[in-house]
Amino acid sequence: MSEHPSSRPQTPGPLHGIRVVECGHMVAAAYAGKLMADLGAEVIKVEEPGGDRARQRGPYPGNVPHPEKSGLFLYLNTNKRGVTLDLETAKGRELFQQLVKDADVVVHNYHPTQLASLGLEYEALAQQNPTLVLTSISPFGQTGPHREYTAHDLTLWSAGGIVFLGGAGGRPDLPPLKAAGQQAGFQAGVNAGIASLGALYARLGTGRGQHIDISVQECLVAIMENNYIAWPYDQTTPSRLGFRLIPQDVLPCRDGYIYVLAVEEHQWQNAVELMGNPDWADTELFQDFVARSVNWDALKALLADWLQDKSVHEVYHGAQQRRVPFAPVSTMGDLLKSEHLNARGFFAEIGHPEAGTLRYPGAPFKFAASPWTLRSPAPCLGQHNEEVYCGQLGLAPEELQSLQATKVI
Amino acid sequence: MSEQLPLSGVRVADFTWVWAGPFCTLQLAHLGAEVIRIESESRLCVTRRIPPVADGQAGPNRCGYFNQYNQGKHSICLNLKKPAGLGIAKKLVATSDVVAENFAAGVMDRMGLGYDTLKTIKPDIIMIALSGYGATGPESPYVSYGPAQVPMSGLASLTGFPDSPPMSVGFSYGDPNGGLHGAFAVLAALMHRARTGEGQYIDLSQWETSVALVGEGIMAQEMNAAAPQRRGNRDPHMAPHGLFRCEGEDRWVSIVVADDAEWQRLCAIMGKTDLASDARFATLAGRKDNEDALEAAVTAWTTTLSAEEVTRTLQAAGLAAFPAITNKELAEDEHLRSRPFFARLDHPEVGVRQHAGVPWNFSDTPCQVRRPAPCLGQDTGEVLQRVLGYSADEAATLKDNEVLT
Repeated sequence: MSEHPSSRPQTPGPLHGIRVVECGHMVAAAYAGKLMADLGAEVIKVEEPGGDRARQRGPYPGNVPHPEKSGLFLYLNTNKRGVTLDLETAKGRELFQQLVKDADVVVHNYHPTQLASLGLEYEALAQQNPTLVLTSISPFGQTGPHREYTAHDLTLWSAGGIVFLGGAGGRPDLPPLKAAGQQAGFQAGVNAGIASLGALYARLGTGRGQHIDISVQECLVAIMENNYIAWPYDQTTPSRLGFRLIPQDVLPCRDGYIYVLAVEEHQWQNAVELMGNPDWADTELFQDFVARSVNWDALKALLADWLQDKSVHEVYHGAQQRRVPFAPVSTMGDLLKSEHLNARGFFAEIGHPEAGTLRYPGAPFKFAASPWTLRSPAPCLGQHNEEVYCGQLGLAPEELQSLQATKVI
Repeated sequence: MSEQLPLSGVRVADFTWVWAGPFCTLQLAHLGAEVIRIESESRLCVTRRIPPVADGQAGPNRCGYFNQYNQGKHSICLNLKKPAGLGIAKKLVATSDVVAENFAAGVMDRMGLGYDTLKTIKPDIIMIALSGYGATGPESPYVSYGPAQVPMSGLASLTGFPDSPPMSVGFSYGDPNGGLHGAFAVLAALMHRARTGEGQYIDLSQWETSVALVGEGIMAQEMNAAAPQRRGNRDPHMAPHGLFRCEGEDRWVSIVVADDAEWQRLCAIMGKTDLASDARFATLAGRKDNEDALEAAVTAWTTTLSAEEVTRTLQAAGLAAFPAITNKELAEDEHLRSRPFFARLDHPEVGVRQHAGVPWNFSDTPCQVRRPAPCLGQDTGEVLQRVLGYSADEAATLKDNEVLT
């Protein structure tokens, strides 16, 4: 058993005292829960008896699947307590109601078509806890003609309009390309975190809770920068195959890849100086950033030629010392070794009873007065059943056994 | 339902510009905060200068990028190089709850607007600095743009086709992602202040908020000293899982088949009994081992159909599919319009344009875009008089002295 979060003395996080119940699968609800838990909220993760599907995703140590050792699950569920509960049963829904009675926030990503059978409808929960904030994340929202559509991360990245932008320029034979990982889930999660805290802040004034309906598709359309708005403004459609006004690319060095970007003229001039003022840089072909964009293929070949015997390190630091915003194309190993990230204490280490001691991505923001903390690892499946059901809800040990025997938990 | 908005009464002195910072304060404006952007005529925000511009006609108030990212905000022009301009900025901070900025590390300090100064003016101020590298660390003075966060964070090294170099994700993902994490942090700090009365400084590194998105990759490296391979649109646990060519030029549909039963349903829909009984494809392991052939078989079906028809047919059977939708199709999407997701407000220079609106529906304190993005400096006089208590004469003098430029 890991220690209960409150048993260690810590400076309380900014969300100290906020009680959150989280349920669902995979990334979106879990990331919202993690953002709050890592800032001090008390988060209870309610899993179906079979466990969150993130437990089946890996990565695993030695590539051997094990539900307590999935890297995705371990990362997303730090600082939470975990219980199991079958919301498909009447007894399960009754226990859930009790759990929610004292909660400030419930965040979930169950599909709109499942809410009635899982007891997650707002009216029912609000009846016994009118101050509850219920944050429901779903692929396309709780209303509208696509509300029943089913989705995974890839189809959401498509539905948000983002996949159409990604991929290999100049290769119409290749499909658009999604970003790696579970990006739709992360974006929905941070949006759910914002909306949940917004509603908690509103409650300070109104005294009332409310229901928040979050559509993952909308979260993605909202982050497309100038790519969505190009249609209403000038009726253009950006795509992976289109012209890019700002020359930028990933190019190979001797020992890895560097990302080259020079937005402002002085940045380009400094990059030219870094390259030793080659004669070609002085030609009309590359005289301003429009010319450099139009002639990017030719320029790329010249840059690649210059880069091929250089190290990423020398190009990156050499460029940055001249205020040129080149960046390393980091591998996961590079990040863990990064002098800068380690100087900031970014990675946070903690032990887990099954997965062992590992370093995790740490605070994405540093609070001066009420810090982000890593207090406990992700819970094992049902790890806190006794603590929550008996300790918090007051069930007798025999009742717990009966719940286990009937597979409610 | 309440007239009150979640952040009614919260004022934000917004020194941000370009991308990540304005996206952070956009969320606060969506939630009802009074966000006052401090701008400068001599140093126009990049998003007031770049395409898309309304109907091809350039101008600082006609840019789609700015008008999308600054909905609901106010704009004042201040010359912070003049002592009087700096003084007005400090007066604004004194009446604000939050200060947001995304200059390179150290710039606010050099302008005389560092946190140590501001907290003497407003002891419980919440200040967030969004920078590429964070306020500390050996690389903190380095220059960073949002698109660079994708390679820096390692996301690019995981994104791409198996035989391709690392690839970008098609947009400047690091900026909106940093802005959203920043908005979450500000809200947490507001909750902390409500409980304790204490403000604080928040140091946000866009690099770190981007690494937060590749947690499973970091874990893979920690566990096995090896990162996942680039695998295009494929997934280790589901197949088919990809984008499939459809009828029309550059038309694609995304399809995900989560398990063996779904594969059988897809075969039935495609009318391919031979595939349904093909032993190579019966299990996930088999479909992964024969994924090229699997994708070719699905493509043979999708290429004869429109992406919309594939989507309708598969969704009717409970299978995940959606077209690789374009911005035009998003703008015309009946579902999004019905929610209603889009904000259509009348802007003095560009008229009614359909902007992306608030992606959260609140039942009790409904958040909507309440005013279009401001024209440059449109609220200078109003803020000086209503918020800061200057008289009309004083404001006119400041204008004559070129403080409000």
